[in-house]
Amino acid sequence: MNARKELIQRLAIKRRRKLGELSDEAFGELEIAVREDPLKFIDDNEEDAFLLVTKALERHDESRQNDDFLDDDQYAQARTQRLKALLTASKQALSIDESCLDARLLGILASDRSQEETFGELLALHEETTRDLGEIPLSAAGDAWADVFVRPRLRLQAALARTAINTARFRKAQDLCLDLLARAPLDVLGARFTCALAMARLEDEDGFDWLDAREGRHGNAWFHLGRAILMYKLGRIPAARRALRGYDRLCTGGAYLILQPMYVDAYLPDRPAFESGSFEESLLCTHEADPIISDIPDFPAWASAQTGFLASAQSFCKRNGFEWRDWNEQL
Amino acid sequence: MAFDPQREDYQRLALRFVYSLDDTDTAHEASAFMAFGRRFAQDRDSLPQSDSDRAFHLVTLASKAIDYELPFAPEDQAEKIIKDGHRILDEALALDSHCYDALRMQAAAANPSFDSFLTFLNESASEVRAYCTEQANNISPDVSNERRRLLSDLAMRPYLRWVANQAEEALICGRNRETLRLAEHALELDPSDMADVRFTAALAYAKLEDEAGLDRFVKSRHGSGQTRPFDDAWTYIAYLALAFKQHDMQRAFGHIKDLVARYPHAAEALIRQNEFPDGVFARLAVMPYSEDEIILALSESTVLLQEGVDLEGRGVLSSWIIQETARAWPQAMLAVIAQQTAVDQADQPGPHIQGGHQ
Repeated sequence: MNARKELIQRLAIKRRRKLGELSDEAFGELEIAVREDPLKFIDDNEEDAFLLVTKALERHDESRQNDDFLDDDQYAQARTQRLKALLTASKQALSIDESCLDARLLGILASDRSQEETFGELLALHEETTRDLGEIPLSAAGDAWADVFVRPRLRLQAALARTAINTARFRKAQDLCLDLLARAPLDVLGARFTCALAMARLEDEDGFDWLDAREGRHGNAWFHLGRAILMYKLGRIPAARRALRGYDRLCTGGAYLILQPMYVDAYLPDRPAFESGSFEESLLCTHEADPIISDIPDFPAWASAQTGFLASAQSFCKRNGFEWRDWNEQL
Repeated sequence: MAFDPQREDYQRLALRFVYSLDDTDTAHEASAFMAFGRRFAQDRDSLPQSDSDRAFHLVTLASKAIDYELPFAPEDQAEKIIKDGHRILDEALALDSHCYDALRMQAAAANPSFDSFLTFLNESASEVRAYCTEQANNISPDVSNERRRLLSDLAMRPYLRWVANQAEEALICGRNRETLRLAEHALELDPSDMADVRFTAALAYAKLEDEAGLDRFVKSRHGSGQTRPFDDAWTYIAYLALAFKQHDMQRAFGHIKDLVARYPHAAEALIRQNEFPDGVFARLAVMPYSEDEIILALSESTVLLQEGVDLEGRGVLSSWIIQETARAWPQAMLAVIAQQTAVDQADQPGPHIQGGHQ
């Protein structure tokens, strides 16, 4: 989440409302002024609270920079502290503006409770928001994301959908994602990736095809892996093999991550940005697909037995100086 | 209903015995049959039987050992039971190379993964079907209609078990649509559902989160009088999982209550959630609505219970069921803990406590 960018937009839009009509050029000038000194433009509690959230997220992201240099204990300690700071900031923000949805979302996610408890809390918040504010409105642009003040609601729904996957509520995840795609078709948050996994797990070939076509069949890690899983589950092994080959070829480190899953920390509050075709993309995808891969216990072994897959995984491992853990040790 | 191997062994020989009698003399027939029971129990070899009957008898012995004794046997005897079981199955196959029960049971052990076992079952299914159908159709025209029905029914059973096994393996492999397709096929062949494949289907509907599909399935078969009403543990667990997935916790808890009301010691079973290896001959034959039945159903429901990311690694639904059951029936929780402690102290595996040997 680029909180600062949203903060600037929010403040500039609010200022414009006060000033009346502004030309595009004048609005551009206003945005530059806000960026330089946002504090000067904050004149309500709502934005005060959002500023606290912004700062907390920036501090949080900064403190993660050193994670790679920490051993396990140090990492655990740093993580706990980080989450605590986020929780404190969330409470502070809510004491200023109790309706700050991003603060509430972060508060739930930073509590670091079980996925089941998190799902319950996110769902309650989602229901409360819908009850109080009505359905997520479409903007004039035809995409809810265009309205920066609606984005917190989209983030909440996307987080709820991902937690639904983690708590094995795949139809719920799918419905939430389809609703997001209808209201925010540009799908900046990537709900369609979560949706692809849910449809693969539900063995919904028509749904998956529709989603894939909507994506222009360009695909990415989620679509390639999703299709391989879907075809495998449907018992269409030659098609599964082709999809798996595509996944291996197009997703950096993808094969490695199926055979050697890597830890990814909880998203705060949304999926981190990634370059298309990057290792990060494969990492986030396999992390999100973990509950679905666990449900097809023989899939990794099957994938490993396909021509070139294991070799690809091992050579990636070697090239990047990663560790190769033995399967038997993992079991 | 389930397949009881001993019962089937008896039926096979009884039918053959009756067939061997001269139909004209009913008085003689009755007295001869009186002696059949004794001969079956004490002097089996004196009864008329084919190699395929002998092979099936060996299958029943292997099933008794592997399915019914092994899960409760002490650790040090397990290996011997498995070894003996497979030696017996080898003998069965030597007697009758078309003994598909033996072939399937051997393959279950020989295949290293669920996936490869399923592949084997799928690849040979049409051969098994063709053979069993041929046996069922090749019954002598002299046989009365009633006996013909029984004989053809017995001839088809190895294939019914084969399909039920396919459905079950497909479920474990996460191929839920395949499970439903196979279950439908099995139910077409045998509407009385001797294999209870509808239980496996109920779990697959829950896996696909297709409540409307499960409703239709139950409705279409309910009241047909051919099977038990849908108040079995599998159906309850399937609806429980569906409610939980919709986050309708009240309804989900209602199904926990249904199970506790329907089955003896259900609360304890729901807390323990023991996982047993599936029967290799067929799903174990247990009494309907018995404690054994709910234990068996919970073990098969692992695919639903253990899904999702959970702190204890038990699965989201599994943890929730334990928590809610323990809350509502604290004495059941205490009983489980007490039993577990006793077992830990004795350091001996006991029935219902320690799972079988995988």
